Amino acid sequence: MAVVPFHRVNVLTGIKASRIIEDPVQCADLILKARRPLLVLGAKLTEWSVDGKLALEYALDIARAARIPACGTAHVKGKMVELGVSPDSAYDAVEIVNALKDPDWRGVKKEGNHDLVIFLGVRSDLEEQCLSVLKHFAYKHLRTMTLDKYYFPHANYSLPNFKKDERWGRFLEELIENLRKER
Amino acid sequence: MAEVVKELTRKEQEIRELIRAEMPWEPVGPTPMPGIADLRSWDMRLLKTYKPWYAPFCDLCCLCTYGKCDLSQGRRGACGLDIATQQARMILLTCLMGCSAHAAHGGHILEHLIEKYGADKKIDMGTYIELEAPNIRAVTGLKPETLGDLKTVIEYVYKEITHLLDSTHFGQEGSYLDYESKALHASMLDHVGMEVADIAQIAGFDFPTSVADTPLVDMGWASVDESKPVILLVGHNPATSTTIIDYLRENDLYDKVEVAGICCIALETTRYSDRAKIVGPLSRQLFYVRTGIADVIVTDEQCIRTDMLIEGDKVDSRVIATLDKAMYGLEDVTEKDTDEIVKRMVEDKKHFAILNTKKAAEVAAKVALQVAPQRRKRWITEEEAIELAKKCTNCGMCERVCPNLFGIGDGIVQVAKRNFDLIKEQFNQCIGCGKCEQECPNKVPIFKIMQVAASKETWKIRAGRGAVMDTEIRNVGAPITLGTIPGVLAFVGCSNYPDIDDVADMVYEFARRKYIVMLTGCAAMVAGMKKFENGKTVYELFPPEFDAGGVLNVGSCVSNAHISGAAIKIANIFAALPLRANYEVMADYVLNRVGACGIAWGAMSQKAASIGTGFNRLGIPVLLGPHSSKYRRLYLSRKEEDDWTVMDARKREIVDSGEPSPEHIAYVCETKEKAMVMIPKLCIRKNDTPQGRSIKLNHYISLYKKYMGGGLPEDVQLFIRRDADIPLVYKKEVRVYLKEIDWQPKEPVGLPTLIGTYPTKVPLEAVIH
Repeated sequence: MAVVPFHRVNVLTGIKASRIIEDPVQCADLILKARRPLLVLGAKLTEWSVDGKLALEYALDIARAARIPACGTAHVKGKMVELGVSPDSAYDAVEIVNALKDPDWRGVKKEGNHDLVIFLGVRSDLEEQCLSVLKHFAYKHLRTMTLDKYYFPHANYSLPNFKKDERWGRFLEELIENLRKER
Repeated sequence: MAEVVKELTRKEQEIRELIRAEMPWEPVGPTPMPGIADLRSWDMRLLKTYKPWYAPFCDLCCLCTYGKCDLSQGRRGACGLDIATQQARMILLTCLMGCSAHAAHGGHILEHLIEKYGADKKIDMGTYIELEAPNIRAVTGLKPETLGDLKTVIEYVYKEITHLLDSTHFGQEGSYLDYESKALHASMLDHVGMEVADIAQIAGFDFPTSVADTPLVDMGWASVDESKPVILLVGHNPATSTTIIDYLRENDLYDKVEVAGICCIALETTRYSDRAKIVGPLSRQLFYVRTGIADVIVTDEQCIRTDMLIEGDKVDSRVIATLDKAMYGLEDVTEKDTDEIVKRMVEDKKHFAILNTKKAAEVAAKVALQVAPQRRKRWITEEEAIELAKKCTNCGMCERVCPNLFGIGDGIVQVAKRNFDLIKEQFNQCIGCGKCEQECPNKVPIFKIMQVAASKETWKIRAGRGAVMDTEIRNVGAPITLGTIPGVLAFVGCSNYPDIDDVADMVYEFARRKYIVMLTGCAAMVAGMKKFENGKTVYELFPPEFDAGGVLNVGSCVSNAHISGAAIKIANIFAALPLRANYEVMADYVLNRVGACGIAWGAMSQKAASIGTGFNRLGIPVLLGPHSSKYRRLYLSRKEEDDWTVMDARKREIVDSGEPSPEHIAYVCETKEKAMVMIPKLCIRKNDTPQGRSIKLNHYISLYKKYMGGGLPEDVQLFIRRDADIPLVYKKEVRVYLKEIDWQPKEPVGLPTLIGTYPTKVPLEAVIH
């Protein structure tokens, strides 16, 4: 059955739609299998919270657990600094995507381009367009995943639409736990 | 072969006749009335550094019956097209829609005014404007003197539009770069068409010109006196709205009837009469129409809701369509008797198309006067809103369809609990599409409930002033090009912003920092819809002159030509570079030496796309709000990898400046905070003096610290040429950082230009002043 994205401005993507990941263990496996993953963190992470925990803190826990470099977009860096963390890089969403689509880019760690890019917290219309860029112009060298609480059809892997934020929060907690365990 | 040469010569000769080439005001440059290919090499040079970034909406092309064609993962369609070229084709179509909207607007105004005054009516832009038409002169080579000359120009634009549209047909252009070049061409022509429209309006309607201090006019729905009959204007074209005011004046009715407008027509009408009222930007159209305060709604063209009749019927407002571009299936009663039309509109609640401005004006006034006494519409009370809100179950369907991605249901539920705080906040984010109400399974009248959230405040906005005066350019040309005025910002475009306060906040921040801030269209309105210290708007707080710290409402959408025109004026009046049919020289100067940046924070329409792309061809970067990724195309560089080579015209040497200025020319920002940091960076230019660069970097660094949690921008070293560029206040911190990264000083480029770095007919001498 076709999945309708939560924000319906993102419907009708065409032929290729993302695979839904509902199991945190499977999600952790996919992340850990990647050689050079990158986490792209958007400004919504500074607004959303689940059970009193800021969404950005979940994202930083994921980065730490899987030892993934983080790229802060928009003004996320300011909030990260407040939380005592420096991002590995700071680009705006369209800039990091512009770099990622070049297979010869050396990546945020200057070790080579990334093979898995995980988006979290970019506003959904912009995130979907960024995923579209990578789907069409970077499909040969990288795959994309979103860990947002909504379904994103242009990604390779996406979480489903979560009816309740708490269930999304639980997914992220279990993902973090599995990343720590399997690392 | 001989025949080809003859054909070209004849074509050139035709153009020379059209532009009166023999007139000695300046020698004719290399590209009079350029065709599609004439500025292509300039475009290709731009696109070499600022590569198109495509974000397809879908995997498919569905424009012909060979399709749908799957273009994903390297596939080509039945015609051979790939996904990048398809996106570029869509962009060209988008820009053509925008360009044709303004050109047709200009063409209609010209017809209207030539009918009234004759083709020989002189164009007079006032005492302080001799360079009356910088876009027209630079692009076509014609110095327009009469309305008839403007007609020659608009006919050239029409012709080019036909050729460009032709290229989008099945099986023609196969290169995304060439489609982009065509989009740039269409959008340059858009600025020509806009200039035709606004010069004609200034000449024909006596709009303000050669003046900065235009009247402060009232804005906000509360400024409309609901006790009087209300005529609501929606659209852009002032042919009918000015005639309505004439009719009311001539019949001594202007005190008895309120004339108010939404979107650009409001700005145009207040240029004609400062007693007209501005309800607000496009995003308030549906909301205000649904209040039913308007007795008569007069539509013209562009940015009008297409369901205006349905909405009018809901609240008993009578609709008159006045232009053939938007007739809504209405009966055309242009030839019918006025009293009969009025009778049918009043008694039978009919809507009509009336394509004669005088008749439309008379009917609008008479119907409004007769209908108003029966009007039983008012804003709802808080108690009524609370009752209506109780139907909401907060199912979340409204959030799913909201283009601005927020859940109005949360606010409605709070209203039911007698708390109005959230819905007031949400009203500021609402872009007024009405999709939420349409989707609501419980039929909650969301827009009606929003009436209690809508501020009853009124604001002051300065009436549109038109073109920047030549005298102002002479005064500030040097500080702008040397960098001591840190930038010229142009806030333009529609009202599809994340939050209505964003534009006012940005204008306030940069005017305080002594940037010159120009505004047009819906952006000009929303900038005035917030009060700062002493309850004043940016129009009351800052001077209206084109000078450091000035805030200028230039006018409506078509007044955007005065912004590109101001940049061209700097190149011609201040730098004395050749203007006539010398678009490439103008664009090269603006790109390399004029620290200007457009901000289309709420860009939504096809017109906004072409306005922005037109700025891009002229070398002006445009920063867009997050929704604009849905235009599917940006022009981005990669600062550390791309080609920043320029010619130093003083030394006649090609040098690698290594400096990404401006870094991008069409760029989407995710948040207002990031935009605050990007804007000063996009105003940096290679020819800044050390003092100018230091001022610009001071703003870049201080705004970075304010919004990005301290520290220094990651790329600050790319913009520091020598120690003298470092702002005094950050000297110590920056020096430590530069030492850490082993930064080396570099020679500033004396006279940066792209001329000489790519194949062009323009000689290097042309850009040396």
